[in-house]
Amino acid sequence: MKNGDKSHEWTSLTRRGFIKGVGLGGGAMVLLGQFGVHGLAWALSGDPELKMVLVDYNKCTGCRTCETACSAENWPVVISGRKLPGLGNPRFANIRVHSFSPEVDVPSVCAMCSDTPCVKACPVDPDVKTNRRALYRDQVTHTIHNDPARCIGCQSCAKACATQRTGVITPNSTTGKPERMCTLCGGDPQCVKRCPFGAISSVEVRSDRKFYGLGPDKIAAELAKGWYGTAEFGGMK
Amino acid sequence: MSGKPGYHGVILNINLSTGTSEKVAIPPADLDRFVGGQGLGMKILWDRLKKPGINPLSPENPLIFMPGPFSGFPVPSSSRTCVVTKSPITSPMKSDYRHASTVSYSNMGGFFGPEIRFAGYDGIVITGKAKELSYIVIDDDKVEIREGKRFKGMRTDVFDKVFLDALGDRRFKTVYIGPAGENLVPYASILHTAGRAAGRGGMGCVMGSKNLKAIAVKGSGQPGVADHQRFLAALEKARLALYGTAYAKSWAEQGTARAIVGNSNAGTEAVRNYREGTFPEADRIGGDAARRDVWVRDIACYCCPLACKKSGITKGKYGGIVHDGPEYETGVMLGSNLLISDMPGLLKAITVIDDLGLDQISTGNVIGFLMEAYEKGMIDRKFLDGIDLKWGSVDATLAMIEKIAARDGIGALAGKGVRTLSRQIGKGSEKFAIQVKGLELAAHNIQANQPRGLSYVTASRGACHMSGDNIAMQNRRAMLDSTGMCFFPTFEPALEEPMLAMLSAITGHEYDKAEFEKTGERIFNLEKLFNYREGFRRADDRLPDRFFEDAFTIGPKKGSVLDRSKFDTMLSQYYKDRGWDSETTKPKKAKLQELGLDSI
Repeated sequence: MKNGDKSHEWTSLTRRGFIKGVGLGGGAMVLLGQFGVHGLAWALSGDPELKMVLVDYNKCTGCRTCETACSAENWPVVISGRKLPGLGNPRFANIRVHSFSPEVDVPSVCAMCSDTPCVKACPVDPDVKTNRRALYRDQVTHTIHNDPARCIGCQSCAKACATQRTGVITPNSTTGKPERMCTLCGGDPQCVKRCPFGAISSVEVRSDRKFYGLGPDKIAAELAKGWYGTAEFGGMK
Repeated sequence: MSGKPGYHGVILNINLSTGTSEKVAIPPADLDRFVGGQGLGMKILWDRLKKPGINPLSPENPLIFMPGPFSGFPVPSSSRTCVVTKSPITSPMKSDYRHASTVSYSNMGGFFGPEIRFAGYDGIVITGKAKELSYIVIDDDKVEIREGKRFKGMRTDVFDKVFLDALGDRRFKTVYIGPAGENLVPYASILHTAGRAAGRGGMGCVMGSKNLKAIAVKGSGQPGVADHQRFLAALEKARLALYGTAYAKSWAEQGTARAIVGNSNAGTEAVRNYREGTFPEADRIGGDAARRDVWVRDIACYCCPLACKKSGITKGKYGGIVHDGPEYETGVMLGSNLLISDMPGLLKAITVIDDLGLDQISTGNVIGFLMEAYEKGMIDRKFLDGIDLKWGSVDATLAMIEKIAARDGIGALAGKGVRTLSRQIGKGSEKFAIQVKGLELAAHNIQANQPRGLSYVTASRGACHMSGDNIAMQNRRAMLDSTGMCFFPTFEPALEEPMLAMLSAITGHEYDKAEFEKTGERIFNLEKLFNYREGFRRADDRLPDRFFEDAFTIGPKKGSVLDRSKFDTMLSQYYKDRGWDSETTKPKKAKLQELGLDSI
């Protein structure tokens, strides 16, 4: 790979490592310069560690195996009383590879935003007992869930996601209720495990990563400029 | 719905003359006997064309897009679409029928075949002819034929972008023709993702004859499988056989371009219109050079762990975005075969050929032939409309490519291929018109590779390097191209057992090695029956004289040339082993009975 950006190298930095790095004086300024004050604030906060799926676009080949792995895990089938992975129909995948012309492929997946604009946009009043709206962050898995019984299908969450972040949240074409929030597969993301090219990893959420929270169009445009020196694109509409 | 696992049991029929479409059930026995892809496509072709001599450019000739039983499942490298039709290129020496031609098939990777299955079909069959340039949009059950005059003459690079934007949803997977297909150049191709092609055998020409610019498909479904648990277990093994292996990494590193230097060193490369097997400047256009100077991305087809496709960018006079290449075939046919060793120039030629929608192999072969005829003084510059078509000239090559696609002047004749050109030119040029049955040879040279010569002469679509160098390989590949899986991962021996297990688990039909090859044999024999009915005989299984007369003068295989009597003896043995009459090549009754083709 030519023109390799170094964004994936950040993935090896954990929060603990970050704090340690900051504490080591000489390296502190370098790290702060790289991650900014926001990174420091986050590192020192008491918020739970959030995990997300991160794609290295330089390694991604656009093969869409991640879509099939996601779908198989999250849409299991029951055969003779046993729960088994499904057949991996990519239509049901939470991760989706967006392909453009010229050749740019951008797997797009929930950014696990710490500030959850999708949840904030949910107009359903918080439940008295759980304090949850219809859309909420699960306290154990830290992933975003929707309570279909309380969801009114207003699509506010999808709009918030589309205007402020990746646009991954997709309203169901019949019910309008949100889909495609990443489940992290219960802690063992199958897209990470099944990618034949090692292009996907499970990392801590950090909003100062390059391309963090951006929609596939913006990422594609940026990548195309670097790879092909062009901004002329097909697949943007 | 046939109710057979692994399939929808449904073909989508589209008639462009009437503007109608319908779902048609596939006879369940055909699924067991002809599988999908190339095999089932051939059975459909056989059933639709009940008599010989039908004009391939008539509305009657079906253009058939076939995925296979692997398509739409996360099976490694199950990305292929086989396009099947009656060839607009080939013809026999003698026939009772004016429009006699062989079957034709062409495979491409990408995402189209799987998407056909997601949309709920095991294949799409297009007949008829639209009144004006049109395109088809298939969204699950919804099928629309739309007027597309605004796309007329549009090159594929731009069209790929414009069409995707016009559809308004980038999940659509598309195939389309360029100006060459619209202009009915016999060796026009069908493109997919701007850089993948069903290149060989005139698919784009047949599509153009139907006034069909493009097809877009999108779907949300998937067939079921016979044995879910067995499928998952075999899938796991198949992934293990390929993921992260040195074998897979080797493909990702250089794709087929690795062979540009490799085959030159082995003396098996098409060089200087097949005059030589070694290109001293091969390293300038090979995989190492491309990796260093051109490629920016490794690109994979659906669920493929090999990623043999490359995209890149070149600078300078011929600079621009490269959707693919050099691959072995494109790099050799436009590179060493024309003595072009300038990488940006070579890639410009490859890019323009795809942009216009021509077959890379036939185009490179035709230009190589013309360069030789020009060098030998058999044709002059006037014959070439003023193009100074010297060996190694990028500008002259680019000018000729444009002429062919536009069927302008010399391009009209050159577009008909080397056989027609050599008949027109005469003067002994037939000797170096490198074709079989009218279809040009590919980038594998054969003075030092007799088995590949067998592949070229006995292949069902005319000269084909992929058909197989012996009977077992031919049967196996005919079957493989019927499953939807790509040929490239199957060199890995560890894939064999899980591949058979997946196929059995999906379809519920038990495939061991023998059944796999037997089914392939049935498919190959059905193609033979079609070709025989059209009038093809042993005399048509003939190599150009060059391979028996012009020994290599350079390289490790210097002095190599084929021996005519040895080649004929090999052929006689081949027909005998095939169970065909060695004089006429007609499949014998016993063989047809054995394959269940006697009453077809």
